Order: sequence, then C-alpha cells, then structure tokens
Amino acid sequence: MGETALAVAVDEFEFFLEQEWSDGLPVVTPTEERVQRMLQGTRRDPQEVIGRIPPAMETATVRDAAIHALMAGCKPEYLPVVLGGIKLMLREELNLNAVQGTMGSAAPLMIVNGPYASKIGLHGGRGCFGPGFRANASIGRAIRLMLLNLGGGITELGSSTVFSSPLRYTACLAENMEQSPWESLAVSRGYSPDDNVITCAMVDPPKFCFDDASREPEPLLTGIADSMSTIGSLNVLVPRCPMVVVMGPLHATICAKAGMSRVDVHRRLSEMAGRKVRELKTGGVWRPERAQKINVDMNDEEHFVPGIKDPRDLQLVVAGGIGPISAVCHGWGGGSLVVHGTYDV
Amino acid sequence: MCSVHDTVDFEKRGIPATVIITENFRRAAAWQFRSKGMEGHPYIELPHPVSNLKPKEMRGLALRYVDQLVRQLTG
Amino acid sequence: MANDLPFINPTAGRSKAKVALAARPIDLAGKVLGLLDNTKEQADIILETVADALRERHGVARVVMRRKEAWSKPATDELMDEMAREVQVAVAALGG
Repeated sequence: MGETALAVAVDEFEFFLEQEWSDGLPVVTPTEERVQRMLQGTRRDPQEVIGRIPPAMETATVRDAAIHALMAGCKPEYLPVVLGGIKLMLREELNLNAVQGTMGSAAPLMIVNGPYASKIGLHGGRGCFGPGFRANASIGRAIRLMLLNLGGGITELGSSTVFSSPLRYTACLAENMEQSPWESLAVSRGYSPDDNVITCAMVDPPKFCFDDASREPEPLLTGIADSMSTIGSLNVLVPRCPMVVVMGPLHATICAKAGMSRVDVHRRLSEMAGRKVRELKTGGVWRPERAQKINVDMNDEEHFVPGIKDPRDLQLVVAGGIGPISAVCHGWGGGSLVVHGTYDV
Repeated sequence: MCSVHDTVDFEKRGIPATVIITENFRRAAAWQFRSKGMEGHPYIELPHPVSNLKPKEMRGLALRYVDQLVRQLTG
Repeated sequence: MANDLPFINPTAGRSKAKVALAARPIDLAGKVLGLLDNTKEQADIILETVADALRERHGVARVVMRRKEAWSKPATDELMDEMAREVQVAVAALGG
C-alpha cells in the first residue's frame, strides 16, 4: 500500500529525482505527517480504491492520490479535484491504456468548471496554460505522477511516445468566466452552474491563433478552423477525435457581439474545420485505407472531409487573458473520447 | 505493444506463449513483463527496423528465429 | 542533506502478484498453434512464416490466425476466449 516509511541516509530530493517515474523535477517529500495533512482535504476513506491505472494496473487508493498530490505540491483543498480527475480518466471511453503507450503525445487536459474551482484559485485567465498558478500546476502534476508511478506510462518503458509533450508535466485549467460572454462549458452541457465538473480530453499542446485583424466572426473563425484540421493532422482521417478550442475572451466577445451564442460558434467551427479530398491526397497522413474507414470517396476531389465528425468531440472553452489570441489543441486520433462528470468536494 | 499484455493473458489461461518484438522494444518489453508479474519472460527479438524489408527478406529473417521460438514454447 | 529523515516510498509495499508460466509441452507435434497479429507492419508476414515452419518442421497440426482490430488495445476477452478454446500454444507479433 506504499506506506513503508524509509529512514535512510540519502538526500530525499535525490531519492525521488532518481526514481524511474520521476518527471524530472523535485517533489515535496511524502512523510506520514504530510499525507495526513493532505487527507484532510477529503472526507473519503483513505483506503477507498479509486481504480487500477493502466497499463501497469497498480491500484490507486485515496491515500495514493494524497501521496502523489502532496508530492506534486498540492494544497489539501486541491485533493478533491485530483480524485475527481483520476477517477474520470479511468472511464473506458477515454482509452487511457492506449494513450499511456502511444507513440503520440496526447495528455489529459482537465477543464474544471463550477464554484469549487474558483474557491481554490484554479486559474482560467491570463497565462492559464503556463507557470505561476499553483492549483493549475500541482493538480495536473499530481495526475501525471500517478500516471507515471502507478500506471507505468513511463517513456520508453511503458510508453513508446516519440516526443511526449509539455502538457505531460501538467494540464489543468479553469475557464475565464469573468470575461467570457457565454455560459460555461459544463452549463452548455446541461450541468447546473453550481455543479463542480471536470471535462477531460486527450490532447496535444495548444497551437495559438493570433488574429488582431478580424472584427467579425466569419473571418475570425475561418482562421481558427484552418488550424483545426490540417493536411498533417490525423483528426480529419479518423472516425472520432477530440478537439479543444480555447477562445480568448476577446475573440469570444467578437462572436457574441455579432449575436452568436456558444452553440452557434461550436456549429460554425464544426462546419468550417476540415479539408477537401484533393488537398488531403497531396500528402501528410493520407492513406486510402483511412479514407475507406471513414467512408470517403477518394475519387471525389471536391468532397469536404470534416475534422469534427461528431459534435461531442469539440470542446469550446473560453480562457486566457484579454488579447487577440485563441488556441487549438488537437486530440489523440487513436480512439479516445472526451469524458466529463461532477466531482465531490 | 499490447502484444506483451496478450502474451501474459495467454499464459494466465494456461497457454504457453511468446511474443516477437523488434530490438528497439527490448527494454520496454522486459519492463512490461515485469510490471505484469512475469519478470524474465522470454521473447523473440528481431533486429530493428523491419518495416523496410521486402516480403522475401522478412520471411528469411523470421525463419532464422523459428528454433528459438520453439524452445520458448516447449519444455 | 537529510540524514535519517523518515519518508514514504510510494513504490514500496506493492506486492505484484507473480504470474506463473503455463506448463510447456515437450514438443509441438499435433498441437494447435494460435497466432495473434496486432496489425503492426510486417506482423502478418512474420506470423505466416512462423506458421509454415512450425507446420512443416515441428509437426503443428493446425494454425489459428487472428488479427486484432486495433494494435493499441489488448485483445478483447471474446477474442482471447475464442483462441483459448482452440489453441495449445500461442505467438503474438509484432511488439515495438
């Protein structure tokens, strides 16, 4: 159960930095005292089993989550989000087992909605993808340490990832509800504004779309959509693939002021994102068997292949600071679906 | 890479099994067998890469490992 | 430097249940061989070569070749059940 206390004449930081599952950065040394303090962040029984994390299938208990959360630098009040996140990631449709081993780079991006996120300072405003925000940094890192240590998704051992990704250090944020013109992602799905919800999508790092020229939705969304489905991206040529579009509040407001709701923008982006067969055939990941699998007539050059084949694949989020930039995160094309659910605090 | 998992699955069902890998996967295969409780499980290791081999070359290479494979499946 | 500082090793105390090797037959004569193709490039050629050689030179009576739907997922329970019913030895390819 991982509770063997060690008293050795080693530098504690060196000890953890040398573990094969280390993310390369120092961790907060887990002591029994620190674990007990972290467990105050939950009412749950520490021995409660959350699940087995693939591919190594080690069992994760609430206590294990607390240990990894404290190593990552979490405060006790962050623990419910860590528990909610890792539980969500064990849902079959997310296909964690495959993503842990893939050559690709996808990481589980957590988008956290609801009042608890604000309470603990989970950040969705300026700089939300980068360093400087403890809740964002440590919650995402706690998840990753569990995926490494308990799941065994370690580069070269349990994972054949070619590049891995900066999002595999940490990937957790909130929406910018103060400056968003719309309801939250969770509310748009039917959750109550008072629900504490996590949405998780397996994605690559953001590709930023700088657009300080467009003053109307159509040209703005054209630019964003162009980054969603490219000749070099697998999402156009697979049946299902997650996609996260993070609109900066300025861009979102341009659309809202033109009378577009969140649903309208979601629909328009889904219509625009994609490529014609004649473009796709010029190179990249094009393979006839891929086209066949998604029922595309290879001889119909003008046929438009959408990047978003199911509206549930596109997560439209408003986050970031005020500035003419939005972000597009391509999802994993090997068969992972977005998952979402409430978490207890 | 789930081929290691499948091999372990066969063993759990009482069916002697082995897996053919390429040499760049050696460390991962050994680690995965260990993480599934079958540390030291044998496997057949082909030189890497094989994707560029023509069918005749591929067959020729695979044939060289048949005896070793038989030894791993028999006692 | 922290000498003799007690801390928790999160990897300790995890007793990984050992899986025993299945009993090996003396030889393959008369046996049914299962081959599991994970769709990786060259896996099919490798397994066909193995199948032919084991039939011709080691007395394998019959070969059951199955191809997984996705190499990124373990074989389904259904597929494994089906193979387990029919085969006495198995080879999977191609890892890596």
